Amino acid sequence: MIKGDKSYNDLLTRINELETKLDESNEIIESIRRGEVDAFIVQNNGTNEIYTLRSADKAFRLFIEKMNQGAVTIGDNGIVLYANTSFAKMVDVPLERVIGQVFLGLIPEAQRQPVSQLIAAAWRDKESRGEITIPGKEGGELPVALYLNQLEIDGGVALGIIASDMSLQKEAQEQKREMEKKDEFITIASHELKTPVTSIKGYIQVLQFNFQQQGNTHAAELLGKVDAQINKLTALISELLDARRIENGQLPLHFDRFDFSALLHEIVEETGRLLPQRLVVEDTTEGVQLFGDRNKLGQVITNIIDNAGKYSPPSSKIIVQAKAEQNILALYVKDQGIGIPRDQQQKIFERFFRVKGKKENTYAGLGLGLYISAEIIFRHQGRIGVESEEGKGSTFYFQLPVIRGENLSASA
Amino acid sequence: MVKICLPVHEPKKIFVADDDQDILNIIEMMLRSRGYEVVMSSNAEELFACKAEDLPELILMDIWMAGVDGREICGRLKKNKLTSAIPVLFVSANSQIAAITEDCRADGFIAKPFEMKLLLQKVQEHLHASMQAQTCDQISQD
Repeated sequence: MIKGDKSYNDLLTRINELETKLDESNEIIESIRRGEVDAFIVQNNGTNEIYTLRSADKAFRLFIEKMNQGAVTIGDNGIVLYANTSFAKMVDVPLERVIGQVFLGLIPEAQRQPVSQLIAAAWRDKESRGEITIPGKEGGELPVALYLNQLEIDGGVALGIIASDMSLQKEAQEQKREMEKKDEFITIASHELKTPVTSIKGYIQVLQFNFQQQGNTHAAELLGKVDAQINKLTALISELLDARRIENGQLPLHFDRFDFSALLHEIVEETGRLLPQRLVVEDTTEGVQLFGDRNKLGQVITNIIDNAGKYSPPSSKIIVQAKAEQNILALYVKDQGIGIPRDQQQKIFERFFRVKGKKENTYAGLGLGLYISAEIIFRHQGRIGVESEEGKGSTFYFQLPVIRGENLSASA
Repeated sequence: MVKICLPVHEPKKIFVADDDQDILNIIEMMLRSRGYEVVMSSNAEELFACKAEDLPELILMDIWMAGVDGREICGRLKKNKLTSAIPVLFVSANSQIAAITEDCRADGFIAKPFEMKLLLQKVQEHLHASMQAQTCDQISQD
């Protein structure tokens, strides 16, 4: 073939064309690799077909770029091929200086040994995981969990490494442990406080029984008053425990079927010992069965009657009215006491709240009773409330669903 | 078939286990005042060495006793043919007493501090129920 020959020039042109196409193709591949291409337009039989990369590739790239975990890919020579911003932040090196670096060089010296072991394990077993500590912000330590996974890329292999900041989890675990410790303490403390109270109450009751047998009603009555005070002390111990449990969202309830009227009369008898001749009971709920925690609902009734006694004049009457209409049972406790200002009526069901005013110092208590009562009533799908006028008295009430039928499931 | 339940008048034997001596004394006084025979123990293990004729008719037991777990004792009693029918009532200041009673398949519970009246009432109820069950069982077997 001779220079200047037509076919020689044709071939040169052809080669130049092919070279240009090859360059274009390389450029396209590079652009795809760099994530700069969102779609291709392919001409096919005179029509244009669009192939988009946005939905697949870009979404993943963005996801990895934005995720909180550090993500790194390293080649078999240990060089970083890819890293996201989270990883760069973790090791405190600008992102552009992370890529192309030796991965181990980015790890604090003290941790290089365990990390290189993890890398070796991942090459050997396809994956490995472990935890290291790297220097964190303000001189602190940052616990980091590493998950290494072998990846097949472009016919070769690489290691994908996900680095998760464990400090939040650690903190949450620590808090949980702390809470459990406190709970355990409260449970044990309540048990230990109740044990001597059981002995005191027991001896008092035996003495009271003996005095009654001997006909010494005066002594028996006095011991009855001691017994009632012991019950108050027991209630305070239980209140502390209950309030703590509510805070943790785990006040345990024990659901069962029971006769409401019988419970009410038990409580009236008990609370009445400290409020002699003051309770007037109007009960029309005879035979009404409730499904709930009998002890806890008893605690609510005791709390409401005790409060009525505490916040009303010594000889005034307290009306305890129980009625059941359709599927709702309601209990009203009406006193002629100091009442509650309108703006404080909703707040009284909050924790540690006690009605403000000049007379408040006269009354002892933890300010937990109504808070616990409200929680107990809510857990029974009921309502609790108060109607009150300052200086005239208050009516506390609760309403509970009367559940009929046998197929009941406890929401304990 | 008509079931006839015979009344039994001999004193009932009640086994009380608690590691607190005062509480044992108190429960003993309460039960004896109503004519029950009381066997006390700081450690319910004795129950497993009992001959059939010496077994109590009802057991009152604490949950946390020194070195002994009432739940475990209850489980063993309920698994043993000789003792499984004896009512077991937990008497404890444990705040989870209701749930524990259910888990251990105990027959009932009395929360500390307790009312003497309630304790006596529960003892009577469970003795009565178990006596009825046994008497009826015997008659139907005859």
